[in-house]
Amino acid sequence: MNLDALTRTSGEWLRGTGPESDIVICSRIRLARNLADFPFTNRASDTEKTEIERICRATMDKAGLELDYQSVVNLDTLDRQLLVERQLISRELSTGEGPRGVAIGPRENVSVMVNEEDHLRIQVMNSGFSLADVWEQINILDDQIEEYLHYAFNPQLGYLTACPTNVGTGIRVGVMLHLPALANTKQIEKVFRALHKLNLAVRGLYGEGTQADGDFYQISNQQTLGKSERELIRNLSEVVPQIINYERQARQEWIGQRRQHLHDQVSRAYGVLKTAHTISSSETMHLLSSVRMGVNLGLIDDLEIRTVNELFIHTQPAHLQKIQGEPLEVDERNIARAGYIRRRLASDNQAAEERD
Amino acid sequence: MTCQRCSREASVHLSETVDGQRRELHLCGPCARKAGLTPPDPPPNAALEAIVDHLIVQHVGELVGELAKTSCPLCGLKFMDFRTGGRLGCPNDYEAFATGLLPLLRTAHGASRHVGKIPRKRTPPSRSPRLRLRARLREAIAREDYELAATIRDQLRQEDADQ
Ligand SMILES: [Zn+2]
Ligand SMILES: [Zn+2]
Repeated sequence: MNLDALTRTSGEWLRGTGPESDIVICSRIRLARNLADFPFTNRASDTEKTEIERICRATMDKAGLELDYQSVVNLDTLDRQLLVERQLISRELSTGEGPRGVAIGPRENVSVMVNEEDHLRIQVMNSGFSLADVWEQINILDDQIEEYLHYAFNPQLGYLTACPTNVGTGIRVGVMLHLPALANTKQIEKVFRALHKLNLAVRGLYGEGTQADGDFYQISNQQTLGKSERELIRNLSEVVPQIINYERQARQEWIGQRRQHLHDQVSRAYGVLKTAHTISSSETMHLLSSVRMGVNLGLIDDLEIRTVNELFIHTQPAHLQKIQGEPLEVDERNIARAGYIRRRLASDNQAAEERD
Repeated sequence: MTCQRCSREASVHLSETVDGQRRELHLCGPCARKAGLTPPDPPPNAALEAIVDHLIVQHVGELVGELAKTSCPLCGLKFMDFRTGGRLGCPNDYEAFATGLLPLLRTAHGASRHVGKIPRKRTPPSRSPRLRLRARLREAIAREDYELAATIRDQLRQEDADQ
């Protein structure tokens, strides 16, 4: 895979289609797996990690999986950062040590990290709210991989993982939501408290930190032992629609009570993005969030949701530097970012005009 | 618990010790804001990890004789290392440290028995011959016994070929 090409395409999960895609960006499941015959990554020597990497790559080949393997060791800092921004690898894999890498599927729905905290971290991601589909895909993928190696598994405790927080099913079921109205009205705090009572975790688009840039929130299970994969998926599948409803209600109240203000906010955000000549990453996220909601509420009609989704990712630092083809300082990035956004919005507007 | 200033559900809970006197404050969001106290940020995602850390400290504290000294024969990890690092060393640790881990799992996950998918092939981890061989290989290399190391390496290769 040519990583430079990633800046001209986008992951399938950013399509902006699928059920509830006005609010649910994507559904993602990952499975933590380890080989029975090796110490966990943190305790394995470089020789052992090389061997683990060899076995995992051979397994994926034998299983006939059409994945493209990237050794992280061979990538420069910018390419590693690009894969993190792309949600294809974790920050931990990017900054880790020793032989490690990631196998990526052609449409970026699938990624398999090797020698992360666990020997294998299998991930499948789809656009919209579609956990059942994602489970079906990842379950098959897991079977295909298991065909050619021995997973560390114990009948009482299930799949054994380096951290006891993942033991059992080794599953993390997550949904990424765009919740601008709940964030705006501060009702989001109530949602958080309810989720924590249900033992569900909330984080921002890029993981840690309470500051959820762009009003994106990833909700995922914390319990992995004592409930089956299907139960854990069902739990999340029951909670998410409630949050979607709250968000829709909050949007409707907002539009009902303060339509002009909301329309104004959305239009100004769009206007700034279309005309700015320098813009920071956090302002971009903030304005794109308003614009995204504006498109979904029909307040903006000449812009595709897919473009907005892509802009969230393509305006990140590593993406911008790859697009420009050179390393950029913060100031230069802000200028490049504004230019890139103007071009993308202009071509989307033009396409809309031609359709009409 | 209800707010101390009105009848809403309290969401901010503070306790402070002033002059040796412990004072508790339970307020709802609006009252907390009025009092100049902002409701706390939602707990970070690491809630479960924090519970685990806490439990590790608790259990190691209680079990300092036996368990603190226990180490895994296959990867060499001591239960104390797990306490500081929060990561286990190899699949066998779940058996080697079962006394310490099971209570911790029960509190963190509310369960101590796996329900769900089962792989078709199963290798009881502690009996994985190759995990043992690899442990012996590491020991041999550490002792600079390269002759033994070479023998073990050949044995591993043979096992690989047999699979
Ligand atoms: Zn009150
Ligand atoms: Zn061990």
